[in-house]
Amino acid sequence: MILGLILIVAVAAGLLASEPCLAGKLEEAIAKTPTGTGPGQINPEAPKGFMGIPGGPNPFWFWGVLWGVWVGWIFSTVGAFGGIMAGVGHITVFGLADYGKSFKTTSPTLNKLLTDSIRTSNQYLVGLSALISSVTYYRMGRLVLPLGLALALGGIAGAYLIPWLTAGKIELSSYVGYFGLIVLIIGCFLFYDTTPKGQAKKKEAKAAAKAFEESVKTRGTSAADSGVKVTSFSFTKVTFTFFGVEFSFNPLWPFVGGFVIAAISAFIGVGGGFLYVPFLTSVTNLPMYIVAGTSALAVFVSMITSIFTFMFVKGTPIDFFFIGAELVGIFAGSILGPYTSKYIPEIWLKRLFVLLAVYVGVGYATKGFMGHSIFPGM
Amino acid sequence: MHPFYLAIDPFLIRFYRITGYAAVDVVIGTIVLAFLALTIGELTAAVALRFLRGRTEKYSESASKYQDLAMDALKAGNKEAYTAANRLANDDFGHAFFQQIALSASSLWPVFFALAWMQYRFLAIEFPIPGTRLSIGFIGFFIIIYIIAFFLFKRIKKGLSLLTGLKQSGAPDQLRAGAFGDSRCRRLGSPVE
Repeated sequence: MILGLILIVAVAAGLLASEPCLAGKLEEAIAKTPTGTGPGQINPEAPKGFMGIPGGPNPFWFWGVLWGVWVGWIFSTVGAFGGIMAGVGHITVFGLADYGKSFKTTSPTLNKLLTDSIRTSNQYLVGLSALISSVTYYRMGRLVLPLGLALALGGIAGAYLIPWLTAGKIELSSYVGYFGLIVLIIGCFLFYDTTPKGQAKKKEAKAAAKAFEESVKTRGTSAADSGVKVTSFSFTKVTFTFFGVEFSFNPLWPFVGGFVIAAISAFIGVGGGFLYVPFLTSVTNLPMYIVAGTSALAVFVSMITSIFTFMFVKGTPIDFFFIGAELVGIFAGSILGPYTSKYIPEIWLKRLFVLLAVYVGVGYATKGFMGHSIFPGM
Repeated sequence: MHPFYLAIDPFLIRFYRITGYAAVDVVIGTIVLAFLALTIGELTAAVALRFLRGRTEKYSESASKYQDLAMDALKAGNKEAYTAANRLANDDFGHAFFQQIALSASSLWPVFFALAWMQYRFLAIEFPIPGTRLSIGFIGFFIIIYIIAFFLFKRIKKGLSLLTGLKQSGAPDQLRAGAFGDSRCRRLGSPVE
């Protein structure tokens, strides 16, 4: 019943956030844009490209496949950085950001609509795929309902409030700048993993786990103390047992965490699901199985919210063919990844991505906030 | 219209003109489109799993092993071992999670090609929701039909395997059901409480 209630809240949030007049907004923005063939102008006679805008970028579908191979390869080797690269593709590689930026002074409304569309394209590519994964982990994981509830409600609030507050209001250059900052933060985490200290921590963990494994014999567990059992619930403390061991947490933290993570995901268009697990682990120190199953519920609920929002989009062209081509590439890249990882150690891949993160992060941050990138090609 | 869709459009639109009643035909045609997307996705997912099963299972089993070790450490009161084993379980879970995202693309990509074709044909069409003043676009209509078709597809597959007596390899379903090894945490009790 509580799960049903969560889903109803998610759907309601999606319905409230839907904008049936998006096509009208786009047409109005195009109509107000100066006509012509120069930057920041629209030539009505030109073939329709991105978002159905005459003269808009129309990247060749095969480049989408190739970029998707790169993204899929990253997903199956290192992991998190794949979503970032998907965003980089939409922003830089396929020229959508530069196109949108050209309307900054001539048509600010169109500039902001293009920002929203890039965010949505990023979410389509990564988010819908995460939906299947979240259903998988929800079914196999253990769930602490109050924890999942707090996380999901925070996620719904973040996923609803941020688009409502920012849709149509964020300039492309600001979006690119914030995207760059997020990339730099992720790069810092990746960098830490490659440092001697970060590597030593992982080695210590392996040694400690192995030492314990060799020192004890696995005992059977009675049915009486297996599974998750919530023993007390209040708005400031939830206590439960798992395998007979007691855990507790303050529901405020998962709510705030869910809100922040969903807000970042909704604002930038990438991230979200993969951040829940390390967040819950570091803040609550809960067992992985509980964290995996519980965070999967939160991801699932936020996906339902987003999907219901998309369902009410009418009349606005989206380049589904191009996104489909990218997904084909991701499929191919994900198969390639395991074969190349036999020859390239993970630590060197992480070092490569740290360099990329610095290049992309600094490039975008300077482009967004200073008007031009200090690195070429951004 | 993209040349690819110019080629397949006559084939696909045929299913939208079967009875002559628009409301019925749009449902039939979209069901057929959804089943086509599902079938093609299922085939490519099976190909993906053929190549990636070993790696996916490796990370999943490792995560399960360290998860079980973490719980043993917790019951033994060894916090250092619990934190260490839990961290390693999380690392392997992270690898398995992103592997799953990449594999999900192998079953979802036909959906976007289907939506791209529907966009050419149904962009301006609104599908009213009975009993309300709301309406949805072609995206929402296809999503609803796709979800219904997904569950029907599963039942048909199960029925076919029972009929033929063939043991299901469970290949694409394994993608969806995951492969988290034989962890005690899975075996005990129901998965979700």
